[in-house]
Amino acid sequence: MIAKRIMKNKQALLGLAIIILLLLVTIFAPFLAPNDPEAVNIMDKFKASCPEYPLGTDELGRCILSRLIVGSRYSLGIAIPIMLTVFCVSLLVGSLSAYLGKPVDRIVVILYDIIIAFPVIVIVLALVGALGQSLGNLFFSLMLALCAAYTKLVRSYVLQEKSKDYIAAAKVCESSDIKIIVNHIVPNIVPVLLVNFTIGIGEAIVMISGFSYLGLGVGAGVPEWGAMLSNAKQYFYSYPQFILYPGLCILLCVVGFNLLGEALRDITTPEEQL
Amino acid sequence: MLRYIGKRMIGLVIVLLGVVALSFVIANVSTVDPVEAYKRMTGANTSKEEIEAMREEMGLDQPIHIQFVNWLGDAVRFDFGKSFVTKNDAMADLLSRLPYTLLQVVVAMAFSVLVIVPIGILSAIKKGTLFDKVVHALTLAGASFPPFWLGYMLLLLFAVQLKILPVTSYGQLSGVILPAITLAVPIISINVRMLRANVLDNLNQDYVLYAKARGLSNRKIVGKHVLKNAAAPMITILGQTFGYTVAGAVIVENVFAWPGVGGYAVSAIIARDLPVVNAYVILIALIFVVCNLLADIAQIAINPKLLTEGGDL
Repeated sequence: MIAKRIMKNKQALLGLAIIILLLLVTIFAPFLAPNDPEAVNIMDKFKASCPEYPLGTDELGRCILSRLIVGSRYSLGIAIPIMLTVFCVSLLVGSLSAYLGKPVDRIVVILYDIIIAFPVIVIVLALVGALGQSLGNLFFSLMLALCAAYTKLVRSYVLQEKSKDYIAAAKVCESSDIKIIVNHIVPNIVPVLLVNFTIGIGEAIVMISGFSYLGLGVGAGVPEWGAMLSNAKQYFYSYPQFILYPGLCILLCVVGFNLLGEALRDITTPEEQL
Repeated sequence: MLRYIGKRMIGLVIVLLGVVALSFVIANVSTVDPVEAYKRMTGANTSKEEIEAMREEMGLDQPIHIQFVNWLGDAVRFDFGKSFVTKNDAMADLLSRLPYTLLQVVVAMAFSVLVIVPIGILSAIKKGTLFDKVVHALTLAGASFPPFWLGYMLLLLFAVQLKILPVTSYGQLSGVILPAITLAVPIISINVRMLRANVLDNLNQDYVLYAKARGLSNRKIVGKHVLKNAAAPMITILGQTFGYTVAGAVIVENVFAWPGVGGYAVSAIIARDLPVVNAYVILIALIFVVCNLLADIAQIAINPKLLTEGGDL
């Protein structure tokens, strides 16, 4: 049903095409990269684009195109697992707490109200500050912060759904709580959630590269887009393309997910005036 | 109304207590030993006895619940200890930088509102026209820009190519323009769409039909009635956005070397300067929570019906 509508929606198809392209690049990165992304070649530093190095080389003579291609593994390779985990955790906690009601709900609400009192970026800054800068710590802290925000979202959707008449009908028919959640509530809120999570992947990609840009994610020299951008800062006036390329890659990812997410929103809520 | 504010204030206190507790947990899972860090800062070689004495002085030898009470007391007095790096009071250091961050955010928000209102309304009224489609495409792009990259691209365009704005702007007033625009682009992009959707929603309401039947001009209907109803829910969003932007300024401050709290916090994180990190976390959470509360109160002041209708906001 939704798949059919996606095939008819140009915007969704465009977003999907961008995402599939990026996923293919991520999966086949080692085969697509023309050179070794880590290979330092001082003799060839700051080379303009040429057949050997299609986008030229950086200050250590590393192939920029190869680094960009391999960099997709960090952005998509981190953002997608994070959002999948967040999806599962928030769906589980959010629907259970909303459905079970007090006192479980009360505790969950207090917990996420506290976590949500910090903007996501600050939780990550605080945790990475306390635990030390590493990719693992970034992954963990981003996941924790996002889980709270999305649990709140799931809970509000479940509460809306729960107040509808068909749930009362199911209760009258003595359906068990688990059955109602799994068979009725979850299938009805998943389409709306998909919209949020698709857009969320784009946001996560920007955040991951942002933290790497600040020097709080991957180590120096790793071909991650944010880290590449941060490294390119010092050559900004002489070689602005060093900043341009990784930024365009991030932009392409985010646009892809935003296009698809937005189209999904139109598809799942056709009755609304958008 | 007063009851609502009272209820919210109690909620605020509970959340802030939780915030302090969370910051305590974060500081305790840290791999940094504050005593060692402090000693390293003073530079001298210290014996084991001296470290023990220091630990006692800082109250770190006490059981964890006593430490928490001390932490709470310090937090209430806004005392987070001295920075390991600058040796000044951590919160005082941050507060001296806060005006720069706030200036940047206030300019960004003011600029955003000036753009959002006309563009949002126009694209709703001209729904489906070329103008609306262009706005749609621009807002999609605007919401997708990585902020740090956008900052560099603006620098490249305005400071390097056109040379109309300074490249380095350490705290100068003219230097606030580019960081503020960088911060404003995603705010504008997201909220133009929201306002457009709200206006469209309101245009289909009965009261608009009634106003038309009374012979009011379209301009008057939209400018007076629709705008008021469409803008009210956005006040909450803008209040939240203000808090988010103060936090999100971290990255933009780094790009433009703007001397705000965010840049200071990042250098503190990299230097493992825990008192500053703790102070920063509490400060931002406080700003964020207060902004949200003020926004909710403002929304109710505009539209008191919300108190009775929805009840729980």
